[in-house]
Amino acid sequence: MKLKIAIASIVVFAGLAVGVYFFRPHTFHGTVIQSPSPSFNFKLNSANGEVSLSDYRGKLVLIYFGYTFCPDICPATLANVGQALRELGDDKASEIQTIMISLDPERDTPEKLAEYVNHFYPSFIGITGSNEQLAEVTSLYGIFYQKSEGPTAENYLIDHTATLLVIDREGYLKLVFPFGVTVDEIADDLKYMLRQ
Amino acid sequence: MNKYLVNSIYGIFAVIVIAAFAFKIFQPIQVLPRMQLAPAFNLTDQNDGTLTSEELRGKFVLYNFTYTNCPAPCYNLNATMQEVQSRLSEVELDNIEVAFVTISFDPDRDTASVLKNYANSLGSSTLQWDFVTTANKSLLKTIIGSGFETYYEDKGNGEFTFTPSFVLVDGWGIVRAEYRYQTSVPDTDRILRHLGVLADEVRNSTGTTKLAYEAAHLFLCYAP
Repeated sequence: MKLKIAIASIVVFAGLAVGVYFFRPHTFHGTVIQSPSPSFNFKLNSANGEVSLSDYRGKLVLIYFGYTFCPDICPATLANVGQALRELGDDKASEIQTIMISLDPERDTPEKLAEYVNHFYPSFIGITGSNEQLAEVTSLYGIFYQKSEGPTAENYLIDHTATLLVIDREGYLKLVFPFGVTVDEIADDLKYMLRQ
Repeated sequence: MNKYLVNSIYGIFAVIVIAAFAFKIFQPIQVLPRMQLAPAFNLTDQNDGTLTSEELRGKFVLYNFTYTNCPAPCYNLNATMQEVQSRLSEVELDNIEVAFVTISFDPDRDTASVLKNYANSLGSSTLQWDFVTTANKSLLKTIIGSGFETYYEDKGNGEFTFTPSFVLVDGWGIVRAEYRYQTSVPDTDRILRHLGVLADEVRNSTGTTKLAYEAAHLFLCYAP
């Protein structure tokens, strides 16, 4: 009898451990936002015409604010996103749209942006707009940016909030990745969100 | 033996379900919802300098929205701001700073010097309480109206119709609480309690306690 109880207890505890492991909630690497309303539906210009957030309902949308002259953080983040999508494979990646919004419309034409983002992943889209449009979209996505001086007048830099945002299939902001998020962390969270 | 196995599996599920319910019902940890990203801004302050959302990162910020010509007592907005400031020592904040920001939606009349006089008249320490606005009215509408979701409208006779509100933003720039006059009278006790809840979360945002806090978010264990 004692043996049976001992075995039963071991089974229960082992089972609990397995159960907790498999049924544990997904721990997001990014910060989860429980937005009560959909994210601001911007309308900006790409090399192939106007792009709105609402064009991608049904897909996950990754939004990154940057500019093509950005020396390090923008290419690092976009390269990580590209790599994460490759890890997920073509099928899953086809359900994810990455959009880079340029904060530097003076130097980043839609054509130049298209060429730039294509280096990181073929389906990436680059968009930008007037300063007024950018002021609105950045404010509503919590992105602060300002020009700062570079070595020459034309080589100015733009300081900007370097978060990577994930919009869910219904158009709600769901996740905010801080700068420095790794390829595996991005892939892991996206994989989970695609299953939902 | 099979019977034991089946019973064990039922037992395991029961324990997990009971644990989840217990967590939800007893709410050992309470959090504030992460509602949305607070709008980013670059506004002019009472010293004719700038105040940006970026400078406020890492601090808890309590915002309100008004205009200096608002007939007193103007929904007790300033009284609430003052009371929260004077009672901050009741909250265990560790080293987290709390900033207070009043955004005016009347930039035509509320110039930097007017805001400065207004701040002085309130006897406010502008070390932690800033009064800001911008002449760019459409951007102001974006920030206050769309970003902080606070309605206001110029009636054209020198008065504004607006929803008196306070918005609490955390150090990551995420809106964590909104206090709207229509739905809940801005209650100083509640705002102070919420500041304490936020500070607790920051204190416990590493290691395994972080998982428990994420579970509290998942189970919507929101502080009243």
